[in-house]
Amino acid sequence: MSKKKKKKIVRGIFFYAGILLLMAVILIPFFFMVTVSLKSAKEAIQVPPTVLPEALTLQHYKDIFNANIFPFLKYFKNSLYVSVLAASISLVLGIMAGYALSKLRFPGRMTISNSFYCVYMFSGILLIVPLYRLLSSVGLYNHREALIIIMVVQTLPTSIYMLKGFFDTIPQEIEEAGKIDGLNYVQSIFYIVIPISVSGIVSVFVYAFMIAWNDFLYATIFLSSSDLFTLPIGLNSLFNRPDYIWGRMMAAALVTSVPVVIMYAFSEFLMKKGTTEGGVKG
Amino acid sequence: MNRKKEMTAGFLFIAPSILLIVLLIGYPMIYNFIISFHKVPVNPKKPMQFVNFGNFTKTLADPSFYKALGVTVFFTLLVVFLSTAVGLAVAILLNRRFFGKKIVKALILLPYIVPSVSLIFAWKYMFNNTYGIVNYLFVDVLGLFERAPLWFDRPASAFVLVTLFCVWKFFPYAFMSFYAILQTIDRTLYEAADVDGANGWQKFKVITLQEIKPVLATVVTLRTIWVFYMYTEVALLSGQVKTISVYLYENAFSMRDMGKAAAISILLFAIIFSFIMLVRKKVFKYE
Repeated sequence: MSKKKKKKIVRGIFFYAGILLLMAVILIPFFFMVTVSLKSAKEAIQVPPTVLPEALTLQHYKDIFNANIFPFLKYFKNSLYVSVLAASISLVLGIMAGYALSKLRFPGRMTISNSFYCVYMFSGILLIVPLYRLLSSVGLYNHREALIIIMVVQTLPTSIYMLKGFFDTIPQEIEEAGKIDGLNYVQSIFYIVIPISVSGIVSVFVYAFMIAWNDFLYATIFLSSSDLFTLPIGLNSLFNRPDYIWGRMMAAALVTSVPVVIMYAFSEFLMKKGTTEGGVKG
Repeated sequence: MNRKKEMTAGFLFIAPSILLIVLLIGYPMIYNFIISFHKVPVNPKKPMQFVNFGNFTKTLADPSFYKALGVTVFFTLLVVFLSTAVGLAVAILLNRRFFGKKIVKALILLPYIVPSVSLIFAWKYMFNNTYGIVNYLFVDVLGLFERAPLWFDRPASAFVLVTLFCVWKFFPYAFMSFYAILQTIDRTLYEAADVDGANGWQKFKVITLQEIKPVLATVVTLRTIWVFYMYTEVALLSGQVKTISVYLYENAFSMRDMGKAAAISILLFAIIFSFIMLVRKKVFKYE
């Protein structure tokens, strides 16, 4: 074997060892999430810990979907309600504003485009006091709608920025062809801009949905009755009770992750498909 | 179509977004400023009382404020530096063809995509004082520690834990940004450097670092703001790490001192604002 070839093999071994280490660091917490959700309550807290479940059980998954035992479904519905509405509103407003900033000429357009960066400075924790007081004073305390409004506003700048970027890639000629056929601006959005940018639009929806689905801070501030709890605060409150069961918590944690992981994977898939198709056209 | 129509449409399309942002970000920020000069009664129906700079002097005289600020600055530096460095290292590592690349790239994103509340259960389980796998490995198998560290209950170990968690959760973001820009670097630059006999580090310094500079600057600035304000992960993982966000939240909703909490918000904003101005001037060279 030549020296060069030997060196190549050694480097290959080190490379794959690095990849394996990386994967281990990433995946070990998920490994425990899955295995503990399949272990009995007793086995989960056994010392020394077992690596794989000795006796597999699906009991925890049955339990979390049983409303008498665990209010998981209620929290899930609340989270879905907040996230779907917030993401949809953010998307609709984002399409309108992104279209205006990308395709229409009007005074102030550049100033608006350049100031999105600033909104980052005003996010999250900075606004809890005034938003709490303002939304409470209009009667939105302990209403999921308060959360929806806040999630729309918190995601809107990024949604607009992303959508403007996608719309910028649509060639002017396509739209002009539509204008000659007599389409007005609204029709042009519906018949030309949206169909071309489907993958971008999905990714913006997924982004806003994820932000709303993960929100913990504003949910703790605005929601006080457990009937309205979203998943992050609901699961956290169940966890802070002394009688929590690990398997149940892990099953709930996994099912909580499923929607966002699927949505993210789907949007990535659309994006990849979009870029290859675009390549063929160009 | 005429210009006037286009202008009207532009204004109409953007108006709802601008209105919402002004109403729920702009106005609250001004209101924050007003509240910070008042004593706010717990009962929302009672009027606020003007106290001049009272809330600011109270905050600036509070030792916990400085402690929280110190913890936050240290925490932000650590998390931003480590997650950026790890993200970049992984991006460079994966920037080649190899078997299983697609699946590796997808799996790396998992910590970033999966909700924090879910991830935190797994971490809490692994680091549990009595039956956690980490203490089992460190104490019983490897014998690294004499006694099991109580990860969540001591400020120092909880700080380490929260830092580790945040680096783990947020390095994929840096990875994605760097990976995308690495793809655009011209391969021939490296080949030319090889001809000149440059070693790996020299190639990194002269070629890679120069090419990724704009992305590096954006990742670092945005992450700094983000980690500096971070509440959820810190609060969920342990009650022992008192960052400035936790301090603000406790003042607002545990102590019910909204005036002081508003004053803290204003001070925080001033800090971040000066940081951004400094970065724009020094790094981006804007005037």
